[in-house]
Amino acid sequence: MARIIDMAGLAGAYGARLLAEAGHDVIRVESRAGDELRRMGPFAGDPNPEHGAYHQYLNAGKRSLTLDFAAGDGQRAYIKLVASADVVYASTPLPFAPEVLQRINPRLVVTLVEDNGDPELCLSARSGMLSLVGRPGRPPMMLGGHVVYSISGLYAGTATLLALFRARHTGKGERVDVSVRQCVESMMEQAMIEYTFTGKGTERRGSRGTITATSGALPCKDGYWLLSLIHADSGWKTLMDWMQDPVLLADPSLAKEENRHKQRDFIMDRIEAWAGQYTRVEMVTGAQERHIPASSISTPADLVEDPQLIARGFLKEINHPEFGHIRWPVGPVATVRGASLGPPPRLGEHNGQLLTELGYGPAEQEALVGSGAV
Amino acid sequence: MIEPSATNRSQGADSNAAPLAGVRVLDFTHVLAGPFCTRLLADFGADVVRVESSLRPDRLGAGTWKPGFEDKQDRPAAYMSSNRSKRSLTINLKAKGGAELATRLARVADVVVENFSAGVMARLRLDYANLSPVNPRIIFASMAGYGQEGPRRDWVSMNVNLQGSIGLMMVTGAEGDPPIAVGNSWCDYVGGLTTCFAIIQALLDRETTGVGANLDVAQFEANAGPLGALLTGSLLGAGLSSRMENRSLTAVPQGCYPCAGDDDWLAISVETDRQWQELVGVLGNPPALLGERFTTPLGRITGHDEIDAALTTWTQARPAAEVERTLKAAHVPAERVRKIEQVVDEPDGARVFHPMPEPRIGGMLVTGLPFALAADAMPSPYAAPRLGQHTDDVLREWLGLSDGEIEEQRAEVLV
Repeated sequence: MARIIDMAGLAGAYGARLLAEAGHDVIRVESRAGDELRRMGPFAGDPNPEHGAYHQYLNAGKRSLTLDFAAGDGQRAYIKLVASADVVYASTPLPFAPEVLQRINPRLVVTLVEDNGDPELCLSARSGMLSLVGRPGRPPMMLGGHVVYSISGLYAGTATLLALFRARHTGKGERVDVSVRQCVESMMEQAMIEYTFTGKGTERRGSRGTITATSGALPCKDGYWLLSLIHADSGWKTLMDWMQDPVLLADPSLAKEENRHKQRDFIMDRIEAWAGQYTRVEMVTGAQERHIPASSISTPADLVEDPQLIARGFLKEINHPEFGHIRWPVGPVATVRGASLGPPPRLGEHNGQLLTELGYGPAEQEALVGSGAV
Repeated sequence: MIEPSATNRSQGADSNAAPLAGVRVLDFTHVLAGPFCTRLLADFGADVVRVESSLRPDRLGAGTWKPGFEDKQDRPAAYMSSNRSKRSLTINLKAKGGAELATRLARVADVVVENFSAGVMARLRLDYANLSPVNPRIIFASMAGYGQEGPRRDWVSMNVNLQGSIGLMMVTGAEGDPPIAVGNSWCDYVGGLTTCFAIIQALLDRETTGVGANLDVAQFEANAGPLGALLTGSLLGAGLSSRMENRSLTAVPQGCYPCAGDDDWLAISVETDRQWQELVGVLGNPPALLGERFTTPLGRITGHDEIDAALTTWTQARPAAEVERTLKAAHVPAERVRKIEQVVDEPDGARVFHPMPEPRIGGMLVTGLPFALAADAMPSPYAAPRLGQHTDDVLREWLGLSDGEIEEQRAEVLV
């Protein structure tokens, strides 16, 4: 278990959460006003720094220390904390240069998540991601739920573990520079390959998939269902055995994925017309019985009762100090490890505990609080 | 015959070695999420050996071939991209002796990764339960759609299924829109990255505990994770999460505005009152935008539709590049919506793509890592293997097999 000082913004936050899921001691160093995640809605109850959904999820399992570097002995306390830590995981700009931090602690891993100050929408536009999302003829759309930053978070978290693994063998610290722009650009890989090999662009297709010819969200009698047919010839045969569409059956060349791509909208229109007479449950159950990848559409609210997430322990019952006995997402990494993950800290909840761990006696702690440093 | 142990290989790494130098990965993956995960491990310096078979070719990327290179390009483009920096060995796992040979390789490997449907590796006797007794240090990562247990364990699933079932399609777009898909294999990349994270954590843990791990990474859960804040909001009764289009609660106005030209758009995101004043100035202080109520973000949220109408009138009469230049000069955050042609070709385009020599077709662009370690010890990418290109090399290096022993298995097992 590593001690990780977390001063990351939204672009790195998902990675810091995963590091907490993995069992590390993640210490959120915040200003006395609280970090930016605490100010993001939606809020459960009054919009205060303890009630934000993003704070509740992304800061879960961490400890909180409020520290003002400019006041009193705040800087010294931070230096002590850095000396005791394995990682500083932060967004730029940092209050101290990475070289200064590594002079304090030569074994320190410093992960810097650099977002160039780009707003999320501009980042999505510049990288090309926006061009892949939305309805044809309508404005391109940003991905919801700020998930574009899960990519930079995943890379930053993974790179931090990699640096820790390497530092263990070399005995020396590492500096990791994560480019948020490049993280999002990397998601254009398939469009890049298509363009550089064939010269073709990639368009946004509304509800329909782009990579797999026969894929997308399709309307049926009582809503939408999802279909994504595997590339192998056998997938098409199974669907045709079920669907018995005379028009599609008349063209044996459609057994090949590359031929289906050329007529993908025609094929999807036929499937849509056929599925319109059935319900979602009939389509999804009928497809899965035949090993055809199909599923239902969910909103985040639907997943609250998801039997798979509950059965596997992704959703666990916990006692939450603020919200009582509730179901709680422990997250993908904690689930894999068979672990749990507690609620997030209240602002400054661990100030006393952490100062004691750093060797401050009661009188010194009082002085730090009195000076406004903590 | 003495087979080298993983422990001996990972000790005494020199300070210039790649982070995962000496780590052996036995790669049973196919299509995308799995191969992307093991490509990351290869990028970090691991020796990744794909276990393939000519009887079951990887169907990844069927259809994308470089015109004129059909006789040279033995793999689809997406395969060449996702499986670079790896080696290939062919084993027919269903032949007599096939699974046994794979087990011998797993005995001297550090990591096994597979993304078959749940239960397939168990039927081949190649799951964690079968491999950990012969190699307690093995880290076994499986990447089935819904995991190896639970009521939906037998469901088959692909990227587009996950985009819808985790909620992403219903939080993207506008209220009343149909589900909105992402035009890439978003969920495969998220699943591959999450699995890679879990594997490196398990490698770190193994340094202390000496034992491996069984990592049952459900792709459904890996993709529910990034939307966890909205799930948490629902669990805590924070109200239904609405679809925000391109808007923001803090940057107002924010949106994609149509420009002159066919399907050209400009993203604008006004994060401060100062930027708002600059924007209004650039538009020539139109009376419609001068109201007192627009001086605060809250006021602008309530008048967002009016602001959008005025902005659209202005942008749609001008080319996107010109509007972008004008707004950037006024320090108002704005970016053209780049299409892939621009992302690849323009001088200020993507930095994450790099040329790589590819002997079959001369060269190609590949995706590099979007982060750097200061020690700069990451290996350069190299071309994807031909099917079975390294069968003999791997059997010699990993197992110390002689030419005679390899030939004995050639016809039945090594296909």
